[in-house]
Amino acid sequence: MPRWIVLTVIAAATLAPAVASAQDAEALRKELDQMRKQFETMKESYEKSINSLSERLQKIEQAPPPAAAAPAPAAPAVGQVAPSAAPDPGSGGMPSIMDLARPRQPFALYERRGPGQLLFDIGVAGDFIGNLTQKNVQQAQGGTFSGLENYFFPREIELSLFGQIDPYARAEVRLEAGQESRGQEISVSLAEANLTLMALPFNTQAKLGMMRNRFGLTNQIHDHDLPFIDRPDVFVQFFGQEGLVETGGEATWVPPLPFYLELLGGLFNGDNETAFGLGSIKYPLVTGRARTFFELGDFGALQLGMSVANGLQADRLNNLILGWDAKYKYTPEGWQHPLLTVAGELLYQMRTVKTPGEEATIGVDGEEIPGTPGRKKTLDRVGWYAYGEVQPIRFGWLSLFSAGFRYDWTEYATAPGHQWAVQPYLSFMPSEFLRFRIGYKHTQGNTPGCCTDTDFGSARIKDELFFQSTFILGAHPSHPF
Amino acid sequence: MRTVPRAVAAALLALGVLAGGAAAADKIRVVATTTDLKALTEVIGGDLVEVDALARGNQNAHDLEVRPSLMVKVRRADLLVMNGLELDQWADVVVQGANNSRVIPGAPGRVDASQGIRVLEVPATRVDRSMGDVHPLGNPHYTLDPGMAPAVTANILSGLVRVAPQSRPVFERNRTEFLGRLDEAMTRWTKLLEPFKGAKIVVDHNMWPYFLTRFGLVQAGTIEERPGIPPTPTHLTRLMALMKAEQIKVVIMAPWGDQKLAERVAQDAGAKAATLATAVGAVKGTGAYLDMVDYNVKTLAQALR
Repeated sequence: MPRWIVLTVIAAATLAPAVASAQDAEALRKELDQMRKQFETMKESYEKSINSLSERLQKIEQAPPPAAAAPAPAAPAVGQVAPSAAPDPGSGGMPSIMDLARPRQPFALYERRGPGQLLFDIGVAGDFIGNLTQKNVQQAQGGTFSGLENYFFPREIELSLFGQIDPYARAEVRLEAGQESRGQEISVSLAEANLTLMALPFNTQAKLGMMRNRFGLTNQIHDHDLPFIDRPDVFVQFFGQEGLVETGGEATWVPPLPFYLELLGGLFNGDNETAFGLGSIKYPLVTGRARTFFELGDFGALQLGMSVANGLQADRLNNLILGWDAKYKYTPEGWQHPLLTVAGELLYQMRTVKTPGEEATIGVDGEEIPGTPGRKKTLDRVGWYAYGEVQPIRFGWLSLFSAGFRYDWTEYATAPGHQWAVQPYLSFMPSEFLRFRIGYKHTQGNTPGCCTDTDFGSARIKDELFFQSTFILGAHPSHPF
Repeated sequence: MRTVPRAVAAALLALGVLAGGAAAADKIRVVATTTDLKALTEVIGGDLVEVDALARGNQNAHDLEVRPSLMVKVRRADLLVMNGLELDQWADVVVQGANNSRVIPGAPGRVDASQGIRVLEVPATRVDRSMGDVHPLGNPHYTLDPGMAPAVTANILSGLVRVAPQSRPVFERNRTEFLGRLDEAMTRWTKLLEPFKGAKIVVDHNMWPYFLTRFGLVQAGTIEERPGIPPTPTHLTRLMALMKAEQIKVVIMAPWGDQKLAERVAQDAGAKAATLATAVGAVKGTGAYLDMVDYNVKTLAQALR
């Protein structure tokens, strides 16, 4: 074998591992670089994560603590934490027109509720009346509860649904059932259904729909909430048994004054048949009210109000009714109920009526005597009532009793004459949601030309004994002053 | 002719009245439903706020008569601070009559002071009124417990910041200072009631669970058999027997409660009756929040001795 071949083989054999080793080192170096880069990337990533966590921790530490060592439940029957779920108020001020116009998810916003509660409040009020009176009053159906004399009956069973519609408006719906005459089936009707826009500009609110009008003190109060058993006689004479309940809209404004003043203006159909009855928004019933309030010392408070309702009757003749009201309450220091309440209302009606004309007649000499056309005249009518109530005991079972007295005097809305009545009553309220009342009412009518022969069937003089029981099931809004 | 100058004078007077209102408008006008919340808001807001309360300290805030004078206060408010657990449900009627869209439900000017607190006595079962006037969201008397003040003031601070974000540093500084003073006082109060830990107490109305639990005391019974309903003789007899058996030394009563009855129960059971402040200003010398708690702790410690 030639020498050069042997040397070549030896050199190849020697160099081959060196070349391979150099190649391996290069590969390893690359791999190491790669790993270093990966490590740097991971390090950066971890640093970012650590920084982010540190920032969060710092924020949590800087934020106010939720509550210092919270106490354990005091009784075994109670539950644990009720995490707050109230909606976080937005950051805007008064809503813009666009805000109001924007469609919203129904029921998206509502107040925090306890378990089992619905999105709005539900309440049922039941009001049952019994009355005893003379036979002739029953026969003439002339009692306070006409057609239901000497009878027990459900006067008002009312289902109330009320709550927020959205952040800008609330709604109230009241359905009521009651018996209107003896033996008649009980009918269900819509008593009120309205919405109140609460976020209008310039501190105004608007109420739209069907409502008990804010005319005077008691008209807006439902039967079961009245401070006495029956509606005052003047309201029954001037507005009918139900009072003034209309469909339309009203707006209120509370001006920025240092004392309370509420101004109200409204436009309604004028459906009330006793006072108006045209029932057209072309000639709407216009209402207004001003109400103010004064604290008299630490314990007394006085509310004064004036109301107006002006509309057309079915024969397109005008009827204007004005009202003035006052209410005083005296609540000694620390008492949870007023010791004394005194209130009254006066209504003045100016109703235009048309007197019937006289037809043309033929005289004895055969000549025609021309008739006289009917002419318009204004019937001025007035009526008022006043009542006082005392709840003289502060604590214990006797504190659940209150006694009151009401005096009514009113002219009839269209007929001549007037009537007056006295009514003492006693209430017993075992709780805020249950009340029993007993009352006696003596009414005496004075209608010229009426009842000269006998009182039978006239119901000119009435003596009535009332029993009332009222309950409230579920939610009921707080009573205003 | 005299009517014209009179009308001008009346208009000027009215403008003067309104201008007076405008001068006061520099401050944030806050209305709180109770005096506790008023006091805590004043602490956070300092000179930047003008705070009014709807209920007086010596009134039972459960059932307040909704007077239009309350509506006047809310009418002008930038912020309304409420209890949030239905102690002051009547405030909604006040808001409805105040025509102030800044504080209607869901508005930024409304503060629920109970957010984030651990509520006690949340009914675990269905409740109805056979149980008396129960609070379906839990016991609402958390402000009587000074340990709740950090959470309550945090809620008030958030509300104030929503109305005046530029004043956040001032509100935060005021709160920090207040919490510092509260911490110091808390150490003192805890030490004062430490010897009576585990002592059983009877109350007239169930409004002290937060306060009693905070200081390790135990509510053994109530004079009211059920909230808001006067006790029956049977209940009182049973309660007095329990007090004797358990050697209960103290009956806590509210200034607006039936004190004669509480005193009679205490006397018959060989205990003492102690009137505690149910809110800031409920009794003399409790015009500030820390003063109220201080008064309650000292009075209770004295009675337990």
